[in-house]
Amino acid sequence: MGTYFEKENLDLLKAQFDTAEYDPEQAEPAIYIGKNQLLDMMKVLRENPTYSFDRMANLTAVDYKEYFEMVYSLYSRRFDKWVTVKVKLEHDNPEVESMTQIWEGTNFEERETYDLMGITFLHHPDLRRILMPDNYEAHPLRKDFVPLEPRIEGGVLTWHKQKSMS
Amino acid sequence: MAQTEKYVLNMGPQHPSTHGVLQVQVELDGEKIVGAKPVMGYLHRGIEKLMESRTYAQCVPYTDRLDYVSAMNNNLGFCMAVEKLAAIEVPERAEYIRVICAELNRIASHHVFIGSLTNDLGSATGMIYAFRDREKILDLFNIICGARMTAHYIRIGGVAADAQEEFLRGAQEFIDYVPAMLDEYDRIFTGNEIFQARMQGTSIITRETALKHGMSGPNIRASGVDYDIRKIDKYGAYGKFDFEIPVGKQGDNWDRYIVRLKEIQQSANIIQQALDNMPEGPVMAKVPKVLRPPKGDAYHRVENTRGELGFYIVSDGSTKPYRVHIRRPSFVNLQALDGMCQGMLLADAVTAFATIDPLMGEVDC
Amino acid sequence: MHSGIIYSAAQGLREVLMSLVGIPIIVDIIMTIICASILLVIMATSALVFTLGERKICAFIQVRIGPNRVGPGGLLQSVADMLKLMDKEDIVPKGIDKWLWVLSPILLLVPSALIYAFFPFDDGVILADVNVGLFLLIAITSQTVLPFLMGGYASNSKYSLIGGMRTVAQMLGYEVPMVFALMGIVMLTGSLKMSAIVEAQSNVWFIVLQPLAFLIYIVTALVESNRPPFNLVEGESEIIAGPFTEYTGMRWALFFLAEFSNLMCIGILTTTLFLGGWHGPDFLPGFCWFWIKTFICVLFYQWVGWTFPRLRIDTMLSFGWKVLLPVALINVLLTGVGIYIYNIM
Repeated sequence: MGTYFEKENLDLLKAQFDTAEYDPEQAEPAIYIGKNQLLDMMKVLRENPTYSFDRMANLTAVDYKEYFEMVYSLYSRRFDKWVTVKVKLEHDNPEVESMTQIWEGTNFEERETYDLMGITFLHHPDLRRILMPDNYEAHPLRKDFVPLEPRIEGGVLTWHKQKSMS
Repeated sequence: MAQTEKYVLNMGPQHPSTHGVLQVQVELDGEKIVGAKPVMGYLHRGIEKLMESRTYAQCVPYTDRLDYVSAMNNNLGFCMAVEKLAAIEVPERAEYIRVICAELNRIASHHVFIGSLTNDLGSATGMIYAFRDREKILDLFNIICGARMTAHYIRIGGVAADAQEEFLRGAQEFIDYVPAMLDEYDRIFTGNEIFQARMQGTSIITRETALKHGMSGPNIRASGVDYDIRKIDKYGAYGKFDFEIPVGKQGDNWDRYIVRLKEIQQSANIIQQALDNMPEGPVMAKVPKVLRPPKGDAYHRVENTRGELGFYIVSDGSTKPYRVHIRRPSFVNLQALDGMCQGMLLADAVTAFATIDPLMGEVDC
Repeated sequence: MHSGIIYSAAQGLREVLMSLVGIPIIVDIIMTIICASILLVIMATSALVFTLGERKICAFIQVRIGPNRVGPGGLLQSVADMLKLMDKEDIVPKGIDKWLWVLSPILLLVPSALIYAFFPFDDGVILADVNVGLFLLIAITSQTVLPFLMGGYASNSKYSLIGGMRTVAQMLGYEVPMVFALMGIVMLTGSLKMSAIVEAQSNVWFIVLQPLAFLIYIVTALVESNRPPFNLVEGESEIIAGPFTEYTGMRWALFFLAEFSNLMCIGILTTTLFLGGWHGPDFLPGFCWFWIKTFICVLFYQWVGWTFPRLRIDTMLSFGWKVLLPVALINVLLTGVGIYIYNIM
């Protein structure tokens, strides 16, 4: 693995964005950023030639029950550097800016996160379910997920909340 | 002027050449493709969710079922991510055996690629030749772990059992056979005029597009981007071997094919070096029976046969992972399909599916 | 006037019938019926034999074993397949054009059965030795386009329709060079009669006199019979099975039968037109030579088919129009010049 983003640079980012913070105790600390400044900071990370994180290596979300956390792992091919960016989202109606505005290749991954975790990506070109059926109404990767019951109604496969889960 | 109308042809999920259960809605104007929309999810088993209720060791067999033609590489990716999370040192011999298995599996996976590609181009003969040679590797896996495809051989902390003399000898025999094998492929299909005409200059992915879509693996290398995680990250024992990364020129179907052919050669090269310098010693680190990695998260990536396979694991300190996310290369690569098909003919769409080499077990996860 | 075992046998049979019935017209009718049934039997059995042969040869090329379970060495495999096909459920899809759909496989079989009437199997053994034999032959074989298009249109499936349209495109593109290639032979023979064409090859086979035409014919014949590498009509990796995607059981088997019959037809035609027909050294009777050559031709076509990948529609059409047609025309010109020079000398 390449090296992790230096703490000096993290401090620079922190100075630039007031919602950015990180845990200096950790060896490889993730930057936490407020969701309103996420897009701007990502643009800086991508476009600033001293950072040039040109690759969105991984994009996913974690359900921590009280809140969601978006996790972005960025990689710079030029400097062989890593950085992890995290955004906390409220549990009700989680929304975040779509990264397709900067990395077009996150299209499918965001659709997957939307599908399985139920996070809405703003300004996404084509936000539809990608793995689950189109008429499925739950998000399987959430911790409070209860599988829906398949039923055929009028020749169409439909999904219903289970009645008893005792 | 005759009036023509565009129409949508639904290819798959039951179609002879969509590589499993990929569904592609191809919009056609006559035989010319206007757009191709992949539809996924027919093989979605919820592996990420299933892993949340299994212990770390129990998760490994699930990785076999991701990219089921290169199970060893998936085992490797997951185990390394857990090892990173739990800070486990893997013995050197195990690292070497892992490399041998992963590279053998890469060759086997490329055999499937060549086979399905030639089959999609209408020559079933090519497929049989590729699968005949793949069988040799599967037999080797049978010797080393008793399974042919879903190996579950690479475990957290090392490998399941030491490689037998029989396996090492068999691997050596296979490596010795590789040049003859590639030569035969050259004579059967690489040199074939029709084969070349179908592949050259079709479905071009430019360097920029490949980077834009975040592609990885042989697909991005065919477009001329020198991006191989084995070389960049030097994970496991890969730093100790000397090998080249084959890179294509213009990123057409032909380059994607040639890059994979050359990769077989390089894999053989790596296995040869690993066999020659194989150290003695244990093959399993001391891993607690009940593994409880410390609280935290880790992202680790390996070069799967299809590209950058990443595992993001969140541990809450218990015996089971709190969250596992798998960055599947085929899934991300599929984004390029639309662009590859536009302006091509229907027959090229099939070639494009084949050369982008998606594996639905991995795409749908 | 003719020699050969089959001719003599037929002559003998005719005499026996004549002495039994006594009315020439009725004898003629009975003879024709007998001949036609023999031809049909040949067609049907050859399809069985060829299926097995093709599978075995293909297995050999593909380093496999091939069918080896049913009967000794898998000999009865095609019989088992036939029984299986008869047993299959006859699925009629929704929204089809019923009449066209049902007629298509039957109509496809008609031309491929009909052309057997024009094949000279041995000296004097030809069911209908008409004056315009070759012309009729070409006319009939080109009729196979229609059932394909019908099946493709009637199936109410886009795959079938694409397959049907491809048939038309490729037939148009390859029928023309084929006819012009055969023109050279007609010019040399001076007749369209099939028996005359074979007769003209008693000294020198036309493959020697017409090498260009031979090459063109091989390519166009592969196209005509939808053999790989020109099997775009049923390109299984793109359009599943083309016009016969929606057919099952016996209906599909009819397509299959027609395909094998077509394969044998092009084998026979190559033999007849270029390889001297039933001519050969005297130690074997004419029909033996005929079948040996035919089998070699069929083997060749199968070999080609199992070796090459499929062409793409645009390369294939442009090859037909831009390469084969001009070459065929040049061949006609060269033949004319050759004949002129030969006559002067």
